[in-house]
Amino acid sequence: MADKVKLRSSDQQMFEVEEEVAFQSLTVKNMSEDTGLDAPIPLPNVSSKILAKVIEYCKYHVDAEKKADDKPSKTEEEIKTWDTDFVKVDQSTLFELILAANYLNIKSLLDLTCLTVANMIKGKTPEEIRKTFNIVNDFTPEEEEEVRKENQWAFE
Amino acid sequence: MGSPKAPVSQATQHPHNVQPWGNYLFAQGKDTRNAGLGRLRALDDEFLMQVLALLPAETLGRLACVNRAFYCFSNHEDLWRALTLEAPELEGKWRFKNTWQQTYLKASLPIHNFHRKHPLRVQGFYSDLLYQPWHCTTVPLHSSWLKRDTIDRRTGLSVEDFKQQYELPNKPVILQNTIDDWPALLNWNSKYLKKVFKGNTILAGDYPMGFDNFLAYSQRSRDEMPLYLFDKHFASKAPQLAADYKVPKYFDEDLFSVLGEAGRPDFRWLIMGPPRSGSTFHKDPNATSAWNAVVTGSKKWIMYPPSALPPGVHASDDGADVACPVSLIEWFLNFYKESQKGPVQPLEGICRAGEVLFVPRGWWHMALNLEESIAVTQNYVSSANLQHVVDFLKGGRAELVSGCPFEQRGRLHDAFLSALQQQRPQVLKELKRQQQRKQAAKAPSQLSALFSETKSVEQPQEFSFRFS
Repeated sequence: MADKVKLRSSDQQMFEVEEEVAFQSLTVKNMSEDTGLDAPIPLPNVSSKILAKVIEYCKYHVDAEKKADDKPSKTEEEIKTWDTDFVKVDQSTLFELILAANYLNIKSLLDLTCLTVANMIKGKTPEEIRKTFNIVNDFTPEEEEEVRKENQWAFE
Repeated sequence: MGSPKAPVSQATQHPHNVQPWGNYLFAQGKDTRNAGLGRLRALDDEFLMQVLALLPAETLGRLACVNRAFYCFSNHEDLWRALTLEAPELEGKWRFKNTWQQTYLKASLPIHNFHRKHPLRVQGFYSDLLYQPWHCTTVPLHSSWLKRDTIDRRTGLSVEDFKQQYELPNKPVILQNTIDDWPALLNWNSKYLKKVFKGNTILAGDYPMGFDNFLAYSQRSRDEMPLYLFDKHFASKAPQLAADYKVPKYFDEDLFSVLGEAGRPDFRWLIMGPPRSGSTFHKDPNATSAWNAVVTGSKKWIMYPPSALPPGVHASDDGADVACPVSLIEWFLNFYKESQKGPVQPLEGICRAGEVLFVPRGWWHMALNLEESIAVTQNYVSSANLQHVVDFLKGGRAELVSGCPFEQRGRLHDAFLSALQQQRPQVLKELKRQQQRKQAAKAPSQLSALFSETKSVEQPQEFSFRFS
């Protein structure tokens, strides 16, 4: 019978999660080694909305690695597709996921979200990048011209 | 190397005028970073840098045009260094210009009229991640970091005295006047190395490059942790170099030689680097000891005994993973003072041209090149550390054994012992005698049982208590 870990979000919601899934987070793993599995582990930096998503991610990945008949239950292709869908969220959710993945120390989720942000920037013009992230152009006209000249090669 | 009292001048300011985060607390108003990152302000500098590290050059170039904050981030040299060194299509093609960015662009773009860059100086941008490396490159070395000289220095030591006073007790020493007859002391300089490496590449930071390209980099780079030449194949690439030096008499037992050059783990390296290059705290592999001879230049060494952990260094419980997260200069800035006050004092000293440092088995050590330096080093096994090396290899953790192909690692223990049996049976006999004496001395008393609980940081499962 799998051991369960109790996690408490910042808004005091309780989540009961299998140990294997919870320990995808090194932070949770380390904390439980100090306090044991009986007491709930407080996660004051993670809201219930985000924690639910993180748990969903960890659960999927634990299941995907499980082997039946010596084959992992999900192919790399399937996992990639699932991951791509998983991060199709609005920006503020994405950034909250990043902060949670960082705090909870879940490397694969950090890598995934990092790649997601990178893909949001790749191939865009400066104006498109500004629009995507609501960035203000604070160059003076002279600076902008200078910088543009310097980086002309990136537009050719 | 600047004088410790040099005022902060224009020359030491970050090229884009990035300020350390601490200055923000005293600034009035303007915060270009948070205002400038839009929704991305939620992410810290480390994460942003990780994102940028995934981007191709064109995207970085466009990102630089977004606004001042992104201009600073996209121009961070670490990004361009990685782009240059990791691009398989650029290997062998790049030539170091004044910055990694220029180097990359020159190598990867077709004949192109470069707009000569005058770095934009930004106001109100605070970032430790971007500022610190620049600061470490330019801050003058404090005289206090160089003053302490506590490693023994000996001249004219006999081999027997060396073994009794240093090798067996496992204590460092700087040996003077022991390599005076090396041709290397007369021959080795950039011009000579350029000649002997002609047509070959050398390894710097594990990347292959031509020697003259490495030299250009060495002389012009402003990297916080400069790449340095560290090549284990120097003798096969340039046999003259092997002829220019010989192993000092104290170290010629060299037991791994019974495995032959093909069968033995990596054992010798040519080292060359610009000022401020060097290596952060580590222990040498396979429980071997080492000697390091400075041929030109000078190195500052700081050494900690095996059971002490230097400040700023983190090691996993089994000692397999060591992290020294800060650069050499950053270590000096943040931890040197602390190292002077701790319960275990490190041994320190500057090794100059013609001097040889003995690095005993298991000692933590770090080396900082104070000027451009050329050195040669070898790791070795002698009767003094044979038992430890054998125990280490027997431990069976292939991933901890280093310097030979992975497939060989598990078998190294047996291969070594059988080769010793064939070629140096006396050495094995003596080893067995030592083991028997140890067994006999292990009285099952309460006292020894108490101490056998002690685990050292040094190696997995090694019994660390010593009666001496």
